[in-house]
Amino acid sequence: MSKESTTIDVGESSNVTKSTSHVVVDEKKKKSFVAAASGGGYKRGLAIFDFLLRLAAIVTTITASSLMYTAEETLPFFTQFLQFQAGYDDFATFQFFVIAVAIVAGYLVLSLPFSIVTIIRPLAVAPRLILLISDTVVVTLTTAAAAAAAAIVYLAHNGNANTNWLPICQQFGDFCQAVSSAVVTASIAVVFFILLIVISAIALKRQ
Amino acid sequence: MKNESTIIDVPAESSSAMKGKAPLIGVARDHTTSGSGGYKRGLSIFDFLLRLAAIVAASVAAATMFTSDETLPFFTQFLQFQAGYDDLPTFQFFVIAMSMIAGYLVLSLPFSVVTIVRPLATAPRLLLLVLDTAALAFSTAAASSAAAISYLAHNGNQNTNWLPICQQFGDFCQKTSGSVVSSFVAVVFFAMLVVLSGVALKRH
Repeated sequence: MSKESTTIDVGESSNVTKSTSHVVVDEKKKKSFVAAASGGGYKRGLAIFDFLLRLAAIVTTITASSLMYTAEETLPFFTQFLQFQAGYDDFATFQFFVIAVAIVAGYLVLSLPFSIVTIIRPLAVAPRLILLISDTVVVTLTTAAAAAAAAIVYLAHNGNANTNWLPICQQFGDFCQAVSSAVVTASIAVVFFILLIVISAIALKRQ
Repeated sequence: MKNESTIIDVPAESSSAMKGKAPLIGVARDHTTSGSGGYKRGLSIFDFLLRLAAIVAASVAAATMFTSDETLPFFTQFLQFQAGYDDLPTFQFFVIAMSMIAGYLVLSLPFSVVTIVRPLATAPRLLLLVLDTAALAFSTAAASSAAAISYLAHNGNQNTNWLPICQQFGDFCQKTSGSVVSSFVAVVFFAMLVVLSGVALKRH
């Protein structure tokens, strides 16, 4: 192996060359800072949208719960044997609906401070993660209440020939209407919750 | 400015060999494993196993409900003494929904494998989270509406004169109730999957 040799002129003093190599690292740090600032911007926008969705969901759940709660009807005739009153407490499923949706409304009010924290500190991870986990639990609870009530409402509208379950909506028209509106409103709240979960997930993701 | 000079011995090997050994300034981050990649890979593996368990739960629920037919050993000319899932529209919805959920879970397995292989990639996880949230809501709807009908079948409702049919169709009721329980297990798995994806997505 024959050796070659060459002469290299080191033109500048050594600390200047060192600083040029550090510029690579500094630029990377600057880029990450810029990314964090712009990420904070769009994450703050997402947090504000999250807050507004929560307010809308509070209104929706309170409406659903109170619609079901006040859905009573008394028919103007009576006999000694049959009942001609209908209310939410005649159905175990509707009782569950009222209580579950009321709990969800209470949770939403309690989660508003966390949402405000995510607006103020858009890059903080812990509040968003807490909101995501509890929103998942709440979406399950709301969907369960809405779907169970929807099954009973479907039965009340259509009955079931095979099991001899009569459609009671034919007698209790107002009650059925109020109850159906409550179920529809709760389903809208479920859509809001799904949006809230997706927003939290998008805001959580790394740059 | 003082000029300095030095002499460097360059061996006669080809310069490409020296270039190959030169270290890079600003070495690219190894995206396959690192500290956070390690625990995210663990979360992805747990996610994959949860998906397999949820497939079992959802398909067991659908199959049990589908095969829950019962015919009573006596009959008359006028009344029906058969019970099956297709006698109740809610149970029909349940069978179809649970089958769709099981199919979705099977199709999401490749995405889960991708998150195991590339633990730091966020796009597959975000996609899985959004789809899992929708699947969570869908399966909860199916499970709880079937639960409401099951509750009615067991207890009836005095105020509306809906008779509890479980007193005649014991096997049918047992199978449908077991099916509903299995679907709620699938719902719990979905909730865990959503939370897992959320935790794995978070920045460090």
